[in-house]
Amino acid sequence: MSAVDLLNLLIAALLQAGVYAAMSVGMTIIYGVMKIVNLAHAGFLMLGAYFVYELYARFHIDPLLGVLLAFPVFFLIGMSVHWVLVRRIPTSDQPTLTSLLLLFGLWLVLQNLGYVVWGNSDRAILTPRTLDVLQIGPISFPTVRLVVFGAALTSLGSLEFVLHKTWFGRAVRALMQNSDAGRIVGVNVERTARVAFGVGIAFAGAAGGLLAMIYSFSPDFGGPFLLRSFVVIVMGGLESFAGVAVGSVILAVVETFCILVLPANYQPAIAFSLLVLALIVLPEGVAGLWNKRRRWA
Amino acid sequence: MANYICNPTKWYSLSVGLLFLALLAVLPGCGKGSKGGTNEIAIGVVLPVTGREAKPGQYQREGIELAIHQINQGGGIFVRELGKKLPVKEVFYDDGSDQAKSAGLVERAMSADNVVAVLGGYSTALGEAESVMPDRYQTPWITTGAAASTIFSHGYQYIFGTLSPTDLLGYTTAEFLGSVVDHGKLKKGLKLALALENTDHGVDYGKGIDKWIQEHPGYFNVVFSEKFDLGSTDFSGLLQKVKNARADIFLADAHLQDYITMHRQYMQTAMYHQMISYGARGPEADARKALGDATNYIFAGIWWSGKLPYPQVKRFAADYQGSTGRPPDSWYAATAYEGMRALAAAIEHAGSLNKTAIRDQLRTVELTDSLLPGQVLRFGKNGQINTPFVIVQNKPGDKVDIVYPPDAATGEAIAPKPR
Repeated sequence: MSAVDLLNLLIAALLQAGVYAAMSVGMTIIYGVMKIVNLAHAGFLMLGAYFVYELYARFHIDPLLGVLLAFPVFFLIGMSVHWVLVRRIPTSDQPTLTSLLLLFGLWLVLQNLGYVVWGNSDRAILTPRTLDVLQIGPISFPTVRLVVFGAALTSLGSLEFVLHKTWFGRAVRALMQNSDAGRIVGVNVERTARVAFGVGIAFAGAAGGLLAMIYSFSPDFGGPFLLRSFVVIVMGGLESFAGVAVGSVILAVVETFCILVLPANYQPAIAFSLLVLALIVLPEGVAGLWNKRRRWA
Repeated sequence: MANYICNPTKWYSLSVGLLFLALLAVLPGCGKGSKGGTNEIAIGVVLPVTGREAKPGQYQREGIELAIHQINQGGGIFVRELGKKLPVKEVFYDDGSDQAKSAGLVERAMSADNVVAVLGGYSTALGEAESVMPDRYQTPWITTGAAASTIFSHGYQYIFGTLSPTDLLGYTTAEFLGSVVDHGKLKKGLKLALALENTDHGVDYGKGIDKWIQEHPGYFNVVFSEKFDLGSTDFSGLLQKVKNARADIFLADAHLQDYITMHRQYMQTAMYHQMISYGARGPEADARKALGDATNYIFAGIWWSGKLPYPQVKRFAADYQGSTGRPPDSWYAATAYEGMRALAAAIEHAGSLNKTAIRDQLRTVELTDSLLPGQVLRFGKNGQINTPFVIVQNKPGDKVDIVYPPDAATGEAIAPKPR
C-alpha cells in the first residue's frame, strides 16, 4: 500500500471520528450531570434524522440549516422528556436499573412511533453535496463528510465555550465533579439537570441530522451507533468532552486501520474489543489518564 | 361470605381458577373461532415488516396477500374430503428482522395457531433460523425469500423455497459478464473485486462466480474477495481495500440497506469500475431515491422482473398495482405470490388439510403458468426451485432493462459503465 493510500485512509478515519464525536457528545453531557446512561439516545438520533429529512423534503431547507434548527427543537423535547419522565427517577451517583429500563423503554416507544409515522421505507437525503468528492491531488475528501466533520468540531467548540464561559456551564461542571458540593454552593440541581438533559438531547437530535446526510435511515436507525457511542465515552472517560474527541479519534483510527489487516466482517468486534480493553486497562478513560499525569506532575 | 373473604386458601383457589379461565380465553385455538377450524384454512405468514429487512418483507407480504385475496375471491380452495371450498385465512407475524424471534414465531404458528403451512423467511439469515421448525412440527414451510443452498442441504422433509439457489445467481452474474466480453464490450482477463455478505448467501454467491471462472479460464481473475457484516454502518475500510486491489469490476452481494449504504460510500471514494453489481439488489425504488443517478448502470441478477414477456406477468403487475397503488418493486412480491399459489395448488391436490398430504403434493406440484423465468415452477428434490435468473441493468431516467439472457432482453447491456 502506497503512502497516498495510507494518507487517504487516515483522512477517512479522521472524518469518521467527526461523526463519532457528534453522536457521542450528547450522551456524555447527560451521563456527566445525571449519571444516567441515555439508552434512548439512538431514538433521538433517529428522530433528528427524520426531522432534518422532513425539513428538506417538505420545505427544501438545506440539511445543514436543518441541523441548526434541530438544536432548539430537540432542546425543548429533551426538557419535556426530563420534566415528564426523567426527573421521577431517584437520583444516584451511579446509573440505576430504573433509569436504564425507563430510557430503554423510551427508545422502543420512539422506534415504534417512527414506524407509525414514517413506515418502514429507507429514507435518505440526497443533495448535490451528498456524493460530491473534493479532490486535492491524489487525496479525496468526501464533501458531505467534511461538512459533518466541520459541524461536529463547531458543536464541540461551542459546548466547550458554554461550559467554561457561562454560569450554566460552570454549574454543569460543578455537578459533574461533585453534585453535593455543587448544591452547597447554590447550584439548582434539578434545573441544571433539566437543561443539561435538554442540551444532551439537542446534541443527539442534531447528530441524527448530521448522520442523515451520510447514511440512509429507517425507524431502526441509531442502534449500531449506540454501541460506538458507548465505546467513545468509555474510552474518553465518561464525563470528559475532550475525552469524547480523543475517544472518537481512537475508535475511528483503530477501526479503519485494523480493517487493513483483519477481514472487514470483524469491524463490529473491533469496537467491542476496544470497549473491553478500555474497561480493563483504562477504566477512567483517557481523561483519567490525564488527570493522573497531572497529579503526578 | 366474610369467612370466605378472610380464608387465604379459598382466595388462592379462586385466583388459580380465574387464572385458568383467563388462560383458556387467551390461548390460541382454545376459544371460539379457532384458527384451525374447518371453516377456513389457516396459513401462517412470518416476515419482517419492521427492522433491517422491513421493506422487502413488506413487499413479500403484499405478494402473499394478493394471492390469498384472489384465491378467496374465487371462493377459496376446494378441499375434497370436506366437499367444499374453504377461504384462506392469513395468520401474520412480524419477526422484526430478528433471527431468534423469527424462529419462535414460526414455532408459534405451527404449534399454537394450527396452521396447515407457513410462508415466509425473507433473507437467508432469517430463513435459516426458521428452517429448523417445519420438520419438528411436521408442517410444510415455504420460504419465499431465502435462497442459500445450506438451508436445503440438511435433508429436511417439510421445507420448500421459491427462490433459485444463490450459487446460480453468482454463476449467472459471471456468465452475463462473460457474454459482455464475448460481445467485445469488455476485455478478457479483467480483474474482479468481490465483497460478500457474511452469510451463507454471500458464500454461495462467491462459489457461483468461482465456478464459472474455473469453467471458463482466461475471462476473469478474482484479485480481492472479502466478507462484510450485514447492517454495517461504515464500509470505508472495506472500500479502501477494494480501491487498493485496483480491480476492473466490483461485485458485491448485499442486502438492500447495505447496498444503499455501501454504494453511497463507494461514490464518495471517487472509485471507478467498469461494471458494478450488488448481487440481487439494484433496481429497488428506495435505492434509486436514496442515490439518484448514482445507481445508473448498476446491474443485478434477480429471480423475477416485471419486464418478463409473459402475459401472466403483466396481469400480476396490474393486479399488484391495483392492490397496493404502486408497481412491483424488483422481485420480492412475485416469488411470495408464487409461493402462496403453489401452496394453494398443493392443498387442492391433497384434497385434505393433512399437513403431510400437503407436503407430499408440494413435492409434485407444477405451476405451468408461473410468473418466474421459464414459466414453470416445480420444487426440486431438496425442496428448492431452480428457475433461471434474469440480469437487469439500471439506466438513466429510472429505466430498468432486462439485459440477459438474450431471449428475454428488453435492452442492451451498457458496458463499460460510463464514467
